[in-house]
Amino acid sequence: MSVRAELKYKIMKDYGAPAIMALQDIKKRKKRPVPEAFGPPLESNKRLKEILSRHYFLSRYVSGVKKVAWVTSGAPVELLRAFDFYTIYPENHSALVGAKKQGGDYCGIAEGSGFSQDICSYARIDLGHMLSGKTPAGKLPKPDLLFCSNNICQTVLYWYKAIAHELNIPLIHFDAPFVTTEQTEADVNYMAQQLQDMIPILERVSGRVFYLEIFEEILKRSMETSKTWGAILDAMKAQPAPMTIFDAFGHLAPIVSLRGLPVAQDYYHILMDEVDNRVTQGIGAISDEKYRLIWDNIAIWYKVRFLATFFAERKMNFVTATYTNAWAETTGHLNVKDPWKSMAKTYGQIILNNNLKHRLGLMTKMIKTYAVDGMVMHSTRSCKPYSVGQFDLRKAITADLDLPAVILDADIADERVWSEQQIHTRLEAFCETLEGS
Amino acid sequence: MNLSIPERSEYLKILSDSDQKIMGVLPALYPRELLWAFDLHAAEIWDPPGDILHANAHLQTTICPVVKKSLEFILKEPDVINTGYLFPHTCDSLQNLGTQVKDLIGVSLPVYTFYNPKGSFNNTTTKYYREILQNFQSMLEVSYGTLDSEKLQAACLLGHRIDSRLMDIQEARQTDRLLLGNQEYFQLMRAQEYLLPKDYMSLLEQVEILDQPSEGAKARILVSGILPPSPQILDFLDKLGVSIVADDLLAGSRRLPKFPMDPPDSPLDYLTDRFFILPPCSTRGGDLDERLHQLNKRSKSSKAQGVLFDLVKFCEPELFDHRLLVKTLREQKIPVLTLETELDSHLSGQDKTRIEAFIELLFEMVPR
Ligand code: SF4
Ligand code: SF4
Repeated sequence: MSVRAELKYKIMKDYGAPAIMALQDIKKRKKRPVPEAFGPPLESNKRLKEILSRHYFLSRYVSGVKKVAWVTSGAPVELLRAFDFYTIYPENHSALVGAKKQGGDYCGIAEGSGFSQDICSYARIDLGHMLSGKTPAGKLPKPDLLFCSNNICQTVLYWYKAIAHELNIPLIHFDAPFVTTEQTEADVNYMAQQLQDMIPILERVSGRVFYLEIFEEILKRSMETSKTWGAILDAMKAQPAPMTIFDAFGHLAPIVSLRGLPVAQDYYHILMDEVDNRVTQGIGAISDEKYRLIWDNIAIWYKVRFLATFFAERKMNFVTATYTNAWAETTGHLNVKDPWKSMAKTYGQIILNNNLKHRLGLMTKMIKTYAVDGMVMHSTRSCKPYSVGQFDLRKAITADLDLPAVILDADIADERVWSEQQIHTRLEAFCETLEGS
Repeated sequence: MNLSIPERSEYLKILSDSDQKIMGVLPALYPRELLWAFDLHAAEIWDPPGDILHANAHLQTTICPVVKKSLEFILKEPDVINTGYLFPHTCDSLQNLGTQVKDLIGVSLPVYTFYNPKGSFNNTTTKYYREILQNFQSMLEVSYGTLDSEKLQAACLLGHRIDSRLMDIQEARQTDRLLLGNQEYFQLMRAQEYLLPKDYMSLLEQVEILDQPSEGAKARILVSGILPPSPQILDFLDKLGVSIVADDLLAGSRRLPKFPMDPPDSPLDYLTDRFFILPPCSTRGGDLDERLHQLNKRSKSSKAQGVLFDLVKFCEPELFDHRLLVKTLREQKIPVLTLETELDSHLSGQDKTRIEAFIELLFEMVPR
């Protein structure tokens, strides 16, 4: 670790980052007017932006101070935290690029270098970033380590293998067997052992020693944070719901990418307080919530604002989603007294690593407990594990619960595949059915 | 050479009429010997013929044709599959298709799954894979009674003989000691997908391996991808005088150990070892350098002048690896052609022209 780099990092952390944040705040004071269909915006948005901007800003100065790991959203990051890695989440970064409607450009760079346009757009955007250095976040640090788990998809393994090869850096893969009926003892032991096998590699890459007590603290924090996130989502059962799921898509970022850190833990307490307050005061996320909806699959990042407005104007609010729930669903398994096996149970059973019977049961429960009136499924060409099976899920849910539903064919972050005409027609037809039901 | 290879559907029909238990097995890796030991015949379902009609109601347009065709076949509930379906864990699409068929669509036969570990392997993975085998055995025992260990030993011995003979045949192919055109060669390779192992072994024994190389082809290529090129492409290559001398196919040599194994002693140990010495494969998340190395080795030993990638549309595992493989081969000045297939029986004019141009390039080259 270089003293100069450390000093620079410290100055940026203590003075640079706050100064930049203050400057951004001044710049952004001219707020965009909130359309009438919406309730008052969440105050926590400001804090969320600060946290995320600060994280990306400081990442520019981290080289020589901390080792950097690029991590997948479902990977058991708590273990990396015990070695003080600075973590970057390429999926989050790709979502950010997508939200800025720049996904097509980045995908184009990857495609131009030989990657197929039929692979996941998160991967293409990230590979486009890696090949060009382009990022809306200013600059991202080069990783010293890659850490992925196929508990969300096999894609991340192929993708990270490509980065590992290109950058010639180590890749740690956490193999999570797909749960076809239920996890077996062999599955749990296998995953628990893999985690322990990683320790010497992480010690070597980070130059730090593993302390169980530190790890347990992190685990505890992570559990608590996920629990709070779950409680925030639970609060959306209130009528009117204090947030829309489109808000939650944004507020998800810390639980995904800063999980296990105090900043995420603190942040969700702030958000929880605000959400609780809104519930007590009956403040809804949209001005007049008449219909309550469930969203299935990852967000369409470049159309979040459009979709939020489209539905709010029709008095429709998304109150729950399988996607946002993913970071709260299985954390109940975490147990500091049995860290390895409990992590295996937590990370091995998340929604995308679990069978479709489980997903159907989960969605049915969500629809009932959140008093949902209709379902919007995003069938995304990027994501096979999220999308294969959706047609039959829809069939089962509409038949069992007599629920109007629509499937939107789009992509998570590559705006080039958006078909305005087709989506509009489907959405209008869905709204008509819902309003008539 | 004229090999008498039974036609797939007729052969399976005769088997099922004779009360043979037949399990439909999806791609790609599974412990076939364990099935054989329970007298279960594995009929593999990769690219059944026919149009994709009903599967479109269950799957998006961006799902690969292997998955779609398999589902189309399953939806017909064919009589020849009389025992159940096995979905090995191969890729995201097949992973979901397994649970979709089992938990949402529903078929009258049982659906089984088999997990293949992913990524780089070590002792932890080896131990786990052995447990998976054990659990799979226990699961089959629930339906088919206690496993006869002698039968498993015999099945492993037969599997070992098939592997050894296939390795000899591959080696002969690489060194021009096999009198088989491309069409016939791949028919022979793919017959293992549906023939009873003993029938397949007899077929392999009929294959004549020459002592000396025959007159070489006009050009030599290696094919890479999931399935061999369509019969139309194989026929076209035959006509052009081009020989596919080696392969890096999931339905081909990626299912055959990298080197000969000792005959099995303890069956489960043997099956475990066999899994871990299979060549690197995209679907197992295999190391890219290792795959490149393997590809280079094969292309050198077979003196292949160029590489034909025949990719299944929307096949993510292959699409990710493909870019680096092509880039590196090009850097090594090895000509490369990439085709994309939707597994239909049509060879487009455009593909024909591209193949011709590629082959002409090879004709001009001095053999390696
Ligand atoms: S979008 Fe789907 S395929 Fe892409 S990284 Fe995420 S889980 Fe994997
Ligand atoms: S072709 Fe590729 S995507 Fe399709 S089933 Fe095979 S491995 Fe999976």
